[in-house]
Amino acid sequence: MRTIPIPHVDPLPLPGPVWLFTALLLVVFTLHLAAMNSALGGGLWALWNYLRGRHSEHPYSRRLASELAAMLPTFLAFTVTLGVAALLFVQVLFGNFLYTSSILIGVLWLAVIPLVMLAYYGFYYFSYTAEKGKASGGWVLAVSVCVLLGIAFTYVNNMTLMLRPERWLGMYRAHPNGWNLNLGDPSWLPRYLHMVNGAIALFSAILAQAGMRKMKLDAGYGRWLAQRSALVFAACTGLQFLFGMWLLLAIPREIAMDLLREPLAGAVFGLALMSVIAAMLLILLGSLSEKPGPLVHVGFAMSLLTLFLMVCLRYLLRLASLRPYANLGALSVRPQAGVIVLFLILFVGGLATVAYMLWLVARSRKPRAGVAAPS
Amino acid sequence: MLIALVAVLHVFVSHFAVGGGFFLVVTESLARRQKDAALLDYCRRHSRFFALLTLVFGAISGVGIWFTIGLVSPEATSTLIHTFVWAWAIEWVFFFVEITAAIIYAKTWDSLPARDHLIVGWIYFVAAWMSLFVINGILTFMLTPGRWLQTHSFWDGMFNPTFLPSLLARTAVSAILAGIFGYITLPRLEGREKVARWAALWIIAGALAMPLALWWYFARIPKFSQLYLDGALTGVRHAVRGGVGFTLLALGIALVCGVWKPRWMRAPVVALLLVCGLGMIGAGEYLREFVRKPWVINQVVYANDLRAAEVGTMQSNGVSHSANFLLTDDTTNTAYGEDLFHLQCGSCHAAAGYRGMRRRVDGWDAEFAADVLQHIQMMHGTMPPYAGNEEDRKALGNYLASLNPAWKFKITDANRLEIGEMVFASRCGHCHTVNGKFRPLRGVFENQTPSQVQDMFPVLGAMSSDMPNFNAPDDQAQALAFYISHEASKPISVKPAPAEMPAGGNHSQLLGPVQFRREVR
Repeated sequence: MRTIPIPHVDPLPLPGPVWLFTALLLVVFTLHLAAMNSALGGGLWALWNYLRGRHSEHPYSRRLASELAAMLPTFLAFTVTLGVAALLFVQVLFGNFLYTSSILIGVLWLAVIPLVMLAYYGFYYFSYTAEKGKASGGWVLAVSVCVLLGIAFTYVNNMTLMLRPERWLGMYRAHPNGWNLNLGDPSWLPRYLHMVNGAIALFSAILAQAGMRKMKLDAGYGRWLAQRSALVFAACTGLQFLFGMWLLLAIPREIAMDLLREPLAGAVFGLALMSVIAAMLLILLGSLSEKPGPLVHVGFAMSLLTLFLMVCLRYLLRLASLRPYANLGALSVRPQAGVIVLFLILFVGGLATVAYMLWLVARSRKPRAGVAAPS
Repeated sequence: MLIALVAVLHVFVSHFAVGGGFFLVVTESLARRQKDAALLDYCRRHSRFFALLTLVFGAISGVGIWFTIGLVSPEATSTLIHTFVWAWAIEWVFFFVEITAAIIYAKTWDSLPARDHLIVGWIYFVAAWMSLFVINGILTFMLTPGRWLQTHSFWDGMFNPTFLPSLLARTAVSAILAGIFGYITLPRLEGREKVARWAALWIIAGALAMPLALWWYFARIPKFSQLYLDGALTGVRHAVRGGVGFTLLALGIALVCGVWKPRWMRAPVVALLLVCGLGMIGAGEYLREFVRKPWVINQVVYANDLRAAEVGTMQSNGVSHSANFLLTDDTTNTAYGEDLFHLQCGSCHAAAGYRGMRRRVDGWDAEFAADVLQHIQMMHGTMPPYAGNEEDRKALGNYLASLNPAWKFKITDANRLEIGEMVFASRCGHCHTVNGKFRPLRGVFENQTPSQVQDMFPVLGAMSSDMPNFNAPDDQAQALAFYISHEASKPISVKPAPAEMPAGGNHSQLLGPVQFRREVR
């Protein structure tokens, strides 16, 4: 009988320290999730408000759907762009696990590419029809959102399967051609619900603080948006506790116990719980106020912090799950110091360039004397 | 095939994303300087098309290539990641800037001041070209790792021998595609001729730079790769002809329907130009991939994703000793042969279909197949060595032989030559021709009678360590001898060139025209 098959670690040394790859992975994955939550959560919000806004008594819903329509393609663009970076860094540290699980579910994994394109073009079509005031984009939006839910399903399958090497050989022997899913793993469903519900929650927090800003221009619409999204945020956050508990119970008991016993994981978990409760209270209280105040913005910042902490916890769960098979500390390392410095310089330069372009756009929205009119 | 198609389409669109960005910002600059409203309006429409194509298809298909290489060649991908993760991280920074700039550029025609809009356009182009600059280093490394093989230094790998010529070629291709795609949004009336001539200039400039870039590139690829280009392999021959032909056709169309008679630049001509562009890219990508065979990373990882350093161990210990995923643990099980096929051949071959093995091994028996596997790196110079022990070769040989029913012929005078040709294709044609360029046998068998030819068959395996034993049934051997004698003795206008061909990509084993050692060991 064969032992559990773990592809060997690459014979080439890591071109940078493990901590640096880990830090970069955690940061870009958090940003990727923020963008993904905006695309998926925003898509669901847009769809619901599009359907609701078809009736004339809900003009705010119609307006919100139309505003979201213009932003959804950009959200998806940044989901993909940031996802590429996360995929890059996760391959450096866990390539032998990720490649194997990807090959085992190869058919669905490859299908992600045309599916993302489909969703993306659907979002563009919806934004185009919304801009022209046409009503035909609803079905297309619904398809795009369903496709995104399907992509999330694929990702959850792959990310749970890469943690379960003991399932690989049996799965390969059952279907060697990539027609597999990880549905036999009891943790996939709570994890899927946790991710999708989390996406709705985070985007609701984004909308709540957007609503507070809009109160300055249109008090009625801003208040409606802030209060409605704060309620959705609170409801989804409540559900997150349930899905999170379910997930903890669904992962193998020894791994869950291993994770919870670890002081770092306990601290991260505790902080995440405190920050999400703070975020919920701040956003709920802030949105109830008649005048725009800082509470919702602070609450939104807390929800982003929660997202980062949950990403860290997810990473610690991965380490705990793979502990019998992988030891990052034992990897040989030969840092490419010059290139790392060049990357960091270019990274800062790139961020500065993006900031500069956004500043140009922001400046154009506030016409000042001496600035040429747009041609 | 689908994967190859996605890759070619991605290269097609991603090079347009580089050249098209330059085209847009230069055209916008021109339109603003000349205060040409029609040209400016063209830029605005073209930028929307540009964003829709490059942001969605271009960017996502690029991620698709990431997904695909991880599935098809995880070992090679891992090697590249461990060598170039920081290059990819840098490329990602440019990609991030590029995507942001593209979105802003397409969306802010009415809101940004002219100067600022042009700045965003230039930022886009610089970021896009730098992205190409970085990726070009990784792609060229795969064929010409150069000094990296000794030093394992990032900079040696990145700025490898074909870095610059390939960068020039890709930049020229980007210019050609910018011109071709420029016609998609050609104005219907006002400014049509001006845009048609302007876009043609981009195609012409790119096409004129191509010969220099390609000459430079092909002069610097490894010798074993250069040998693929001598015309001996059909696919390579077609690709070279196709690449040159499509580029010349695009150049001709640009001169005639772009510069000379712009009113002829109608939808069917534009469609033909797009076909030329796609054909050019398809041929280029095919050649780029093919001349690297049998490697995916030259001297490091073979095309079937086996590390060169591991082949020796696998030949000593057998595949089952190191392979993680096998359908069966029992190496005597017939399924084991199929397992080996999927593991070692599946990257490039299906049993039937894409580069299907069924037709390639038609006529093989299990013993011959197992023997051939020992010399497989000699086949057209494109195959990696077989990484397994004798037991593995027998198992895979059994599987390959099982793909077709055994040959049974009733040989007559009427069909002897035809059957002889079939046997030659099956038993000899993977490594030899009679009168062709690839290890021609004419020099050995010229003016020999069929029986003299047949006398040599039993000692073939002993004549050269690179030859398998000959074990075909007598009737097939007779037909084969008849065919070789007939072909090698018939008058030909040009004597076969003494073509050197690569052997398994190992340039220390180049073969000249066949000169068997007559002594038997």
